[in-house]
Amino acid sequence: MASTPAVFSRGLTGRQQRAGIAFALPAALLFATILAYPIFESFRTSLFSIDLLTGNAEFAGLSNFSEIFSDETLWSTIGHTLIWTVLSLAGQLGLGLAAALLIDADWPGMRWIRQLLLIPYVVPVIASALVWQWMLDGHYGVISTSLQSWGALDPGANPLGQESTSLATVVLVNIWRGFPFAMLVFWARMQSIDPAQYEAARVDGAGPWREFVHVTLPNLRSAALSLLALRGIWTLMYFELVWLLTRGGPAGSSEVLSTYIYKVVMGEFRVGYAAAIASFAGLFLGLVGLVGWILYRFRVRRAA
Amino acid sequence: MRPEQRRSKASKAGIAGRVVALALIVFFAVGPILWMVMSSVRPADQLFQSDPSVVPTAVTGAWYEEVFGSGALRWFANSFVVAIVTTLVSLTLGTAAGYAVTRFTFPGRRVLLACLGVSYLFPAILLLVPLYLVLASLGLAGSLAGIIIAHLTITLPLTTWLMKSFVEAVPRELEEAAWVDGQGYLGAFLRVTLPLLRTGLATTAMFAFILSWDEFLLASVIAQGDNVTAPVGMAGLVTSFDIRWGAIMALSTLVTIPVVVLFFVLQRYYEKGLTAGSVKG
Repeated sequence: MASTPAVFSRGLTGRQQRAGIAFALPAALLFATILAYPIFESFRTSLFSIDLLTGNAEFAGLSNFSEIFSDETLWSTIGHTLIWTVLSLAGQLGLGLAAALLIDADWPGMRWIRQLLLIPYVVPVIASALVWQWMLDGHYGVISTSLQSWGALDPGANPLGQESTSLATVVLVNIWRGFPFAMLVFWARMQSIDPAQYEAARVDGAGPWREFVHVTLPNLRSAALSLLALRGIWTLMYFELVWLLTRGGPAGSSEVLSTYIYKVVMGEFRVGYAAAIASFAGLFLGLVGLVGWILYRFRVRRAA
Repeated sequence: MRPEQRRSKASKAGIAGRVVALALIVFFAVGPILWMVMSSVRPADQLFQSDPSVVPTAVTGAWYEEVFGSGALRWFANSFVVAIVTTLVSLTLGTAAGYAVTRFTFPGRRVLLACLGVSYLFPAILLLVPLYLVLASLGLAGSLAGIIIAHLTITLPLTTWLMKSFVEAVPRELEEAAWVDGQGYLGAFLRVTLPLLRTGLATTAMFAFILSWDEFLLASVIAQGDNVTAPVGMAGLVTSFDIRWGAIMALSTLVTIPVVVLFFVLQRYYEKGLTAGSVKG
């Protein structure tokens, strides 16, 4: 009897464990079939050369992975992806912080202003992408025609349609869409700062600027770090906005990793190679996540 | 006295500056959406002039009539079906799983939690190929059921995660009393815990619905023919030669309305859920 695992025992522990499994089982099974199995399949697929049109699958070993290193388009795409991620995050967090400071006042109606500021994040991305495309339209769009009449843009030009400006424009739209989220996180954190800290700073003769630097900013550190980590991962692999605005174009000037993978699958039907890139990116993300986590644990332990 | 005066003068200028900055930021945030709604009711001759006036001088419902007379209604019906089924399934399974990992210790609990964390962070684009292959081998590619399954990969980790945090807030003692009363685990859960989770369920359901309603990437690969969701159908309109911006803006307004209505009705919960980290992208 002693060797029977608790799950099968007739006692209370056994009953509770069985109840736990019963509650968790449906979700766990679904997880396994639609998440774990596909992820495993993805790694397996990356070892094959598969043509989605003909359905031919040939074992290709690591040749998909070695192609990664000779694919020059891929490397310029990775460059764009890094620019896109860094600028988007910097803009979202910067503007989000500014907005959080501005709404952090008990003026009448501030609740409504906060709701309004959240709108870009709430609106479906398809609607956002379409309205920005319309506003940036080279012939009739309100932003492009204004820029053209001020001479900032060539007649008939669309910032999304020029190689020199497409990536920056997509980043700008992403900042517009993402800053409310950073604002809300920063603002929520500001609400929980102990007012005594500000009073102490004021007693020390600190002005608004020094209050901000010495009280507000240090309190926002952990919020900023978690924003960077979570939004970092999602922005690196964010597909919808870039795809809907530019399809990665013109001439690949706004191509990021996610749109490139999509094209390799849907345009070239090279599933094996796409899976190799995806696996590569997934491993890279996992590695970055692991290093970040270890550093975090290390610091926590040192601080304790 | 004097430092007081100086401070009030400085703060007056400061307040004026803040008001201006706030106005600018609100304009930046809301301007595009206002422009979308305004463009959807502008007559064509005002939409397509090379020097557009800011305020429309005439209003038309023609774009909406055009949209309602087209196949776009079918897209919206599809989106509703997909989003509602996705929400119901992921809410049911997610609540049960969230309950299990909070209340019980059982073999595999830690593995489940770890998988939850990973899949929550896992970008959908990396799932695209394998998920498509799995659905195709099941014969579900091209059907609404396929889209629903794909959306579950996004919503299930989220609902489980959110419901876990809501269950944690319910006092355990209440259930233990019910267990002692001989109600059984399921009975205690249904009669005692579930009613206390109402707010949590509403919040989680809203996020699951919005995620599915907005989703484009997976649906664009799986959807075929008539079985497209609204975002997929709309994205296809811009590539055509004659871009009907008025109709597109009408559709954009329509796709936005359910989400914004949910947001304003449940805004308190929305903020709470958002800061709990619930939306990808």
